[in-house]
Amino acid sequence: MASTLTLEGDLATVDLRTNITTQGSVAAPSTIVPAGRTKIKRIMVAASSEGLADGASVFLLRIGGNAVRGGESVITVAAAGRIAVQSGSDAAAQFVPALVLNDVDIEVTPSDTLSIAAEMCGSDTGTGHIVVTLFFGT
Amino acid sequence: MKLYRTREGEATAVDTKTQLTTAGSETAPGPLLVPAGSTKIVGVIVAAMQNMAVATGYSAFIRLEGPALQEGPESIAVCAGGNAVATGGNNATAAVFIPLEIPVTVANEVLIYAEMCGTDVGQVNFGVTIVFGG
Repeated sequence: MASTLTLEGDLATVDLRTNITTQGSVAAPSTIVPAGRTKIKRIMVAASSEGLADGASVFLLRIGGNAVRGGESVITVAAAGRIAVQSGSDAAAQFVPALVLNDVDIEVTPSDTLSIAAEMCGSDTGTGHIVVTLFFGT
Repeated sequence: MKLYRTREGEATAVDTKTQLTTAGSETAPGPLLVPAGSTKIVGVIVAAMQNMAVATGYSAFIRLEGPALQEGPESIAVCAGGNAVATGGNNATAAVFIPLEIPVTVANEVLIYAEMCGTDVGQVNFGVTIVFGG
């Protein structure tokens, strides 16, 4: 029985709720909570932007859908900033290792559907990219 | 069960108490009320980053206030940073989880504020998630 679900997606517009529905080569993975699992126990998530526009942004993960009890949970994931480099210079890359949240304890209904979304907020610092893994348990 | 509620926003002036009132596409999410069944804030998850518009440095913290906090306002250090120049910078950081144990009253409001301190780096954007528990 699978106990993890990984999803990833792009955040092309600031302050726009964007559903995260793909898993790389798998275009439409199931977002149904595995049978017998009643909680999301751990979350690993990473997000950053391409850094192609000036400003500062934060990234939010939204865990909702019919499976989630107690309403949608919205979690701050990461932040990014950028100022234009002067002519002839290069800027460093953005890189964010995954944030690991243990003992998350979000109650879910087995065999019901999750809706995972994300947002880049504040300034548009270039297309954002996010990947998240949910660990299910009891 | 834990419940996660978030607000974000930007501090654009140094040493200025700035309320975080939005949640991305939710431009007017309304008051952040303590969910039913929750008796305390067990932590906050915070990420912040400056826009690097001024070559200087800063520190930052958040304030939790409002009638829901049974023991009064709290203030929590978040991060510090600086820019060597204002002509080129690019950075990103993961959020951090800060464990807390703050008793709260159900159905009452929590207010979240952020402040940029030290010198004005231009703008600091904050995302703050309150983790409610029973």
